[in-house]
Amino acid sequence: MSKARLLRGALGVAGFLILGELVIRFGISEDLLFPAPSAILYEAVFQPADPDFLAGVGTTVTNWMVGLLVATAIAVPLGVLLGALPPVERVVRPLLEFLRPIPSVAIIPLAILLISVDEMMKISVIVYAAVWPILINTVYGMQDVDPLAKESLRSFGFGPLAVLTRVSLPSAAPFVMTGVRIAAGTALVLAVSAELMAGGADGIGVYVNVASSGNRVDLMMAATLWAGVLGLLVNMLLLTGERRLFRWHQVRTGASES
Amino acid sequence: MTRKLRCRAIAIGVTVALALTGCGASDDTATSAGANGLEKTTIKVGHLPIPDPVGLYIAQTKGFFKEEGLTVEPEIITGGAAAIPQIENGSLDIAMTNYVSTFVAVEQGKKIKLIADMYQAAPNTFNIMVPKDSPIKTVADLKGKTVLVNNLNNIGQLAVTTQLKVAGLTAEDVKFVEKPFPDMGNAVNSGQADACWITEPFITANQSQLGFRKLADTMTGQMADFPIAGWMVSDEWAAKHPKTLAAFQRAIQKAQALASSDRKEIETQLPTYTAIKADVASVITLGVYPSELSANRLQKVADVMLEYGYLKNAIDVNSIIVTPPSQ
Repeated sequence: MSKARLLRGALGVAGFLILGELVIRFGISEDLLFPAPSAILYEAVFQPADPDFLAGVGTTVTNWMVGLLVATAIAVPLGVLLGALPPVERVVRPLLEFLRPIPSVAIIPLAILLISVDEMMKISVIVYAAVWPILINTVYGMQDVDPLAKESLRSFGFGPLAVLTRVSLPSAAPFVMTGVRIAAGTALVLAVSAELMAGGADGIGVYVNVASSGNRVDLMMAATLWAGVLGLLVNMLLLTGERRLFRWHQVRTGASES
Repeated sequence: MTRKLRCRAIAIGVTVALALTGCGASDDTATSAGANGLEKTTIKVGHLPIPDPVGLYIAQTKGFFKEEGLTVEPEIITGGAAAIPQIENGSLDIAMTNYVSTFVAVEQGKKIKLIADMYQAAPNTFNIMVPKDSPIKTVADLKGKTVLVNNLNNIGQLAVTTQLKVAGLTAEDVKFVEKPFPDMGNAVNSGQADACWITEPFITANQSQLGFRKLADTMTGQMADFPIAGWMVSDEWAAKHPKTLAAFQRAIQKAQALASSDRKEIETQLPTYTAIKADVASVITLGVYPSELSANRLQKVADVMLEYGYLKNAIDVNSIIVTPPSQ
């Protein structure tokens, strides 16, 4: 990311905050109460010093990461399998296409009923939501492998396993990584939603529920801001990893340095 | 929540080992017999982050649970009705519930037992409020208007309906709309509704920040001293853990007695487990914290519910309470 680009991004954020501040302070009626960005930012600055909030972030991030790892562990092998065996893929496809559009948040009440261990329930819904982007991307990645490269290897007498490990997997890896990055965002949404709907001992969502019952909209918004920051950080981390690991892919496909 | 001793590993690079502990955390350790012959010594207790369950935190800080050999792990729930599946499947041992939700659930066949009383209405704890310049001057003026309640077909709507009856109206004369308490003030001011049924700390907040005025105290007449909330368990849990249950009842009873005799105890606790700040805690109107679980008092709730069609059949409250051991 160039410096000019970073500067423009910062300007955009600052402009948005200032506009929000002005609208809330002067634009909307005095009869409506909503904390201004400055009030929310003020609370957000002190939140990391609050042990309740920190414990909540710890719980949410733990569930989030465990869920994402488990989802990756399930979706990648499954995606490779489906990608490598087109007949199987054609059989499973309709089921996947049916399950995929179900809003993951809608399965939370069901999960609360069925799964009695709180962490397990939360991680399960995160896994459910995070599996789809990784699975679909892996399947596409496998289907996108250059047939010429596969054929060349075969004609040199390499077996199917060698073709898989030497051509298909490396070629699909950038797609898998993109799937994981998309899934990370979805997983965070589910991690917080599950806490909002089910409660729990702690978590960012639980913290928001507590703030709401105490009429502290400023704290609710500040905690939400932190959830957004966490999502942004993990996305940046994964994006950087993607660029470092798969520089060759960007060169090959001509993907822009966005 | 500050006393919550569950310290968690804050680790971004979570290892597979952590994945295993995170997923496999069951409560086998908590079921080993305690010093007092308790069937279970570590219990998860679900509650809302509001003033009602303050007894739980008083008992926790004063060591009343510890004296009984109990370790209580408080958890935040999202509502009494929402907590029923959680006590049924064992993710919570005990949870708070409001009595109206409880009796509706019992009529639907849920196997629940009430084990301790928690909170009872006092004057000005649940009011109908309107903006200061609202043309609505009396409850009768609500005819044809929209009233916000936190849950439809629950205590709020019931309480407002009893007031409507006094004013010669019925529930059909107003439109009830569901809205969370924190959003009610803005919703009324932006024209989405004309009045709201609201409790603390929102009564104080709407009064001081938005200049709302009280139209009626709903906890009067039929609803005077109305029991609001209590502690519940599943039938199965009650049958399996009679000693743990009795230990919890003794500890809570002591805490309730403290809460009702000394408001300072409540004010100290509120900022620790709710988002209510100390200065707000000292000015909000609080209800009553009964020490005894009385079938007679609770029967009133079931009877009023029956009268207004919230229940189809009469419920004998004696059949769903587990009375605390006599001291």
